[in-house]
Amino acid sequence: MSGGRRPDWLVIARREFLERVRTIWFLAVTALGPIGMIAIIVIPVLLARVNNGATVQIVDHTHELGAPLAEEFGKLGWKTEIVAETTDEATLLGRIRDGSINGFLTVPSDAISGSGTIVYQGDNATNQLVTIMMWRINQQVVQHARGVAAGVDPAKLEHILTPVAIESKHTTGEASGSSAGAAFVLGYAVMFILYMAIILYAVNVMRSVVMEKTSRVVELMVAAAKPQALMMGKIIGVGAAGLVQIAAWMAMAVITITYRTQILGLFGVAGDGFTLPPLAWTDAVVIVLYFLLGYFFYAALYAALGAMVSSDQEAQQAQLPVTLLLLIPMLSMQVVANDPRGGAAEALTQIPFSSPILMPMRWLLGGSSGLDAAVSLGILAISTVFVTRLAGRIYRVGILMYGKRPSVREILRWLTY
Amino acid sequence: MTTDAVRVTGVTKRFADHVAVRDLSFTVPAGVVFGVLGPNGAGKSTTLRMINDIIAPDGGEIRILGKFAPGRDAAPHIGYLPEERGLYPKMKVVDMLTFMAELRGVSIRDAKLRAGKWLERLGLTQWTRNKVQDLSKGMQQKVQFAAAVIHDPELVILDEPWSGLDPINAEVLREVVAEQKAAGRTILFSTHQMEQAEKICDHVCIIARGAKVLDGPLASVKRAAVKDGLVALAFIDEAARAAAEPVLADRSLILARRPPRPGDTADLEVELAAGAAPEKLLRELVATGAAITRFEVVVPTLHQIFVERVGAENAAVAAHTDGAA
Repeated sequence: MSGGRRPDWLVIARREFLERVRTIWFLAVTALGPIGMIAIIVIPVLLARVNNGATVQIVDHTHELGAPLAEEFGKLGWKTEIVAETTDEATLLGRIRDGSINGFLTVPSDAISGSGTIVYQGDNATNQLVTIMMWRINQQVVQHARGVAAGVDPAKLEHILTPVAIESKHTTGEASGSSAGAAFVLGYAVMFILYMAIILYAVNVMRSVVMEKTSRVVELMVAAAKPQALMMGKIIGVGAAGLVQIAAWMAMAVITITYRTQILGLFGVAGDGFTLPPLAWTDAVVIVLYFLLGYFFYAALYAALGAMVSSDQEAQQAQLPVTLLLLIPMLSMQVVANDPRGGAAEALTQIPFSSPILMPMRWLLGGSSGLDAAVSLGILAISTVFVTRLAGRIYRVGILMYGKRPSVREILRWLTY
Repeated sequence: MTTDAVRVTGVTKRFADHVAVRDLSFTVPAGVVFGVLGPNGAGKSTTLRMINDIIAPDGGEIRILGKFAPGRDAAPHIGYLPEERGLYPKMKVVDMLTFMAELRGVSIRDAKLRAGKWLERLGLTQWTRNKVQDLSKGMQQKVQFAAAVIHDPELVILDEPWSGLDPINAEVLREVVAEQKAAGRTILFSTHQMEQAEKICDHVCIIARGAKVLDGPLASVKRAAVKDGLVALAFIDEAARAAAEPVLADRSLILARRPPRPGDTADLEVELAAGAAPEKLLRELVATGAAITRFEVVVPTLHQIFVERVGAENAAVAAHTDGAA
């Protein structure tokens, strides 16, 4: 009977995997994740277009700036109208109140000759895009008028006022460098996905352990299989379901980013030429290794937590310390992004609690050498083995304990059983 | 089969502040229904858990089917119905059974076939594709029986099998036990319900406070208890009883008289004096000419033996929990 018998952890892992993958929720979340990603790209662009409809009146005391301002705003698709300079503020505020305009721009008479402040008052003044456009167009129009007033040749003036092209490229000296913004977005996205995946699936392992205790199925299980096999099967099964989901999302993300322009085109929006830096195969290996080790590390901790408690409510409270451990790397994310090669980033990416989340980001930002990454992976791997063993001992005793929550002393004693 | 199904030798298990099982030894012969009896807290579940390798003994040895220590190698040969019963609530009934069989070493294809057969046997075919949580408690209990024996184990271990069972399922369980016994399997179970045990046991082992009180085939245990000499008597009428009175008052024959047990049709029970044989009492009574309608050497019930051997204090605990369960 035991000739071709499958290892217990494999039978258990298959059960855990199928139980998750077969639910309608799994399918929904796996499918909706990518839809969410498309939405993240398309919706801001669509929203920005909706914003185009600002209606602004201009009170021009210079008798000179009104027309060019109206023309520039018109290019954005805004409706502008120059009103008599005698129009008092109360009337204009009344128009904002009754909704006939969004706001009005008051240009003082010394805007060109002196340093008078141009004031915009409107119900959309908190809109980032409106604020930026107000600043940029006023700057451009007033400087042009000042140049003309100073007698500069209009052709030369055109050249002087042409916006300066600036681009920051991220490099740590090895490669030719890529767009700093894009590198940050990629590093951030990878970190966030790892954080979400680890917390989602590791917590799932804990819930699964608690469920086995509350449904009292655990005694049936430990009679048939070793608690160690039970824990490993659970971690591997849940992790496999997680990997399937992440793989689906990653595939969708790559497709979405590659065909960004075409997707935006489907919604009638022009692309903006933004491209993410390419992922080398070494990058992919680093990401996958850290996900696997980080997941095992935290899943074992959460499994032990699940074994210590006897209800979901207790689990909620008991998981706080581990959740805080996970939050530290999230909150330190900026430290690594700001100075990927600094000492703080170095330390954070060597500590096993934070390395799985922060090291892939640091690696993608070029802050880590191969040796750094190897040492960090080694520390994480050894810690994971250690934590898994420790958790296994707590799990073995804890899963058969019901009722009273154990004290720290009792848990320490479990380790010696 | 000549090897013993289970041999427990000098097993001890300590928990933090008390000894749960103390130097316990007993042997479960193959092919019998063996009851481990005792009040709550006697160490029954701990003993069964050690045989199932759920916890490890601190000392002593356990051999299963003559060749296995408790553990992975023994697991395919053991079926287990724990006292803490439960199934995966979100699993389909058929998947649950298939999974349990597979974990006990049955190939997945065979496991599916067996699951189908068991569901049919228990009248649950129409629930095959339902989730466990959709089933009533009684139906879940049936699935649990099936999960315990689906891999055709040589040794079936049932921990407090009757606790929480409705009368119909108690009957189903008795049938399952009878079938398993007929198929040559060994059934080892624990209970504090002596009436249930008396109905199905071939062998018993009574334990209290972690230690063995007595063990052996039920028939010999009862026969041994008969030696104390208790006779139930009934007479045709009061006149007959009056005629027998001189014999009943003879202190060389009868040590004490007591009223019959509730529900018994005897007029009285008498405890024989030391050295007085039942046949001597019978001869003396016949000689009086009194019309006797019943003369029976009382065989004590398992419950009575249990009370006597374990002590009134422990028996009170058992009786109390009997009511609760």
